[in-house]
Amino acid sequence: MPPKGRKGSAALPAKTLVLDNGAYTIKAGLIPTTSANPTIDDCSVIPNCVARSNRDRLTYVASELAECKDFGELAFRRPVEKGFIVNWEAEKAIWEHEFLGTAGEGLRCEPKETNLLLTEKPNCPKELQKNCDEIVFEQFEFAAYYRCVGPILNSYHPSEPSSLSSLPQECLLVIDTSYSDTTVLPIYSGQLIQLAVRRLEVGGKLMTNYLKELSSLRHYNMMEETYLLNEIKEAISFVSPSAHQFAKDLDRTWKGRLGDKRTLDPDIVVDYVLPDYEQSVHGYARPHDPAKLKMRRGLQPLQGPREDVLPLGNERFAVPELLFNPTDIGMQAAGLPGVIMESLAVLPEALKIGMLANIVVVGGNSLISGFMERLESELRVMVPSQYLLNVTRADDPIKHTWLGAARFASQSSLLKSVLVTKAEYDEKGATWLAKRFAGGEK
Amino acid sequence: MPHVELLPNSSSSAAPGWTYVVDTGYDPSKIAINPKNKKRAAAQPGGRRGESELSARQQTAIARRIVELQRDNDPKQSVPVPSHNSIPKTQNARRIIQYQRQIKHWLDDEEALLQQIITPRINPIGGRAIPQSLRRPTTNNSLPATPSEASPAPATLIAGGSAYNNDKPVEHDIYTPPMNSSISSVGPTELRALLSSPPLSYAASHAGPPPAHGPRQRHFCDNCGYWGSMRCLKCGTRVCGLECKDAHEATRCLKWA
Repeated sequence: MPPKGRKGSAALPAKTLVLDNGAYTIKAGLIPTTSANPTIDDCSVIPNCVARSNRDRLTYVASELAECKDFGELAFRRPVEKGFIVNWEAEKAIWEHEFLGTAGEGLRCEPKETNLLLTEKPNCPKELQKNCDEIVFEQFEFAAYYRCVGPILNSYHPSEPSSLSSLPQECLLVIDTSYSDTTVLPIYSGQLIQLAVRRLEVGGKLMTNYLKELSSLRHYNMMEETYLLNEIKEAISFVSPSAHQFAKDLDRTWKGRLGDKRTLDPDIVVDYVLPDYEQSVHGYARPHDPAKLKMRRGLQPLQGPREDVLPLGNERFAVPELLFNPTDIGMQAAGLPGVIMESLAVLPEALKIGMLANIVVVGGNSLISGFMERLESELRVMVPSQYLLNVTRADDPIKHTWLGAARFASQSSLLKSVLVTKAEYDEKGATWLAKRFAGGEK
Repeated sequence: MPHVELLPNSSSSAAPGWTYVVDTGYDPSKIAINPKNKKRAAAQPGGRRGESELSARQQTAIARRIVELQRDNDPKQSVPVPSHNSIPKTQNARRIIQYQRQIKHWLDDEEALLQQIITPRINPIGGRAIPQSLRRPTTNNSLPATPSEASPAPATLIAGGSAYNNDKPVEHDIYTPPMNSSISSVGPTELRALLSSPPLSYAASHAGPPPAHGPRQRHFCDNCGYWGSMRCLKCGTRVCGLECKDAHEATRCLKWA
């Protein structure tokens, strides 16, 4: 039995597995405790799913998905639901496949000689947190472990590239627009202001499913083609600059009435050439061509190679519009700028000013073109004009939270003060651990 | 042998079986709940639905659709996990790994647990839980009531926070006006209260409803996504024109759903 050293005095393992366990992808990397500045390149992005295809009857676990050649009717099983690890059977299989044990290549570590820094979503149900803690120590037996809300660690990014200070940024408003949902998190000196955390339940998943539904209704049945529709969404969607422009674009993509047909604007409408999974694995978009569409319907003789195209008009901008107008599908919630203001309304005025001057957007949805411009212009209208408003997108919005966590993990004094060792857990139990991570007991 | 006689009176006894009740004439409970006659529905206290209000059927359809759009895993497609994994090491781990629950079960559990803590008001941990559960009302109802943006942080928040810390009540007068302030002007007590408050429950951190004075809800054609300027007469869904109306009736009309 290892000596039960007091906090900080026990020798901790020299490396830390930093894990940003997202619903769509896991961001993971091994960080030596005494390392210099960790970089984005230390991070690997791994799909957090087990996928199975009924066509080739193969099962792909996590990174094996890269070997997949046929995404048709691929069914996914995701252990993380709404951002929280729910299904440990699948998650355990994925973790073991990706970085535990000695067999296999890539990221490998022996849990007994590794610290684990695991990030979670805010407002996680306590029972799920407890399950997570128990699995980490009892099943995987990590040497030491810390679990916290991921975006908090973004405040450990240096505010200027040159600064070497290890102090967290004072006021930081993180907007995490991810696969499961979009959360607004005001952070003060590395501490989350829990009362002001707000969540808009529009995320990448909802938008993919919405596009899937629209395409299935209007063109082909694609309800089983989640992977393809996600790819299409990432390739072609854009956010309208304003509600006014949205209305204009909607007009330009309208087919017109009976007897008053209009031509679709080729600047917006595109044809997405679908992959056939024989010659091609990925599709591509090209400008809309009405003649090709007629050929497809058999109104004109076919010319050239056979191909299936999916015309996309207002779907291109109506889908991401949900982030700014969730009421478009009847969801009773304000748009993202409104949610940000709702969150800030909880804070004292002085903090609010500080937060508005330092807004950082992370998460994959921020990569949709036009997102940042729309967010900034709508926020500007809501914020009093004398306040400074500074909205930036992280350099790499997907890995940004991981990088913040890695920076935190590379500073041994910071890390030592929060880690809980397995010996402490064995002595004091899961309830104590939950309280400790919630900031209660030291 | 005394003679017992039940006299009809205005109060009904709780005896099982049957009882005397006074006939007072009109009884709302005997009126049909779903009158076929629309004129009678209009005359009812609630009145007819407004132009923009949705019927119960439409609301259910929307709620169901949103749940469908937000779902992570399809219960119909079960993807088995490859079996060449290590076995659970402890009883606890085995139990957790074998859970087949979905997120909604955990969230329902959380809600039920919160309800349980709240209901008996005198409870060892009740003092902590009550301000948390009342969070929705505090932000939604009392925030508009605070005079302007220039007022200090909502008083309810400070009161709630100091309850956690057992501090003495915050003196509101000390608070400096925020306009020319830096962060240092936020009182340390207030700041501590903000930072030490426990996390909200999942449901409580949900974004609030859209502002009442904001732009009106936009309606789109159910079929093509253009503006939904007309309504299907059978189910009330919006469509853009005759062409889409025909397509809608052929496929998605809720009338017979």
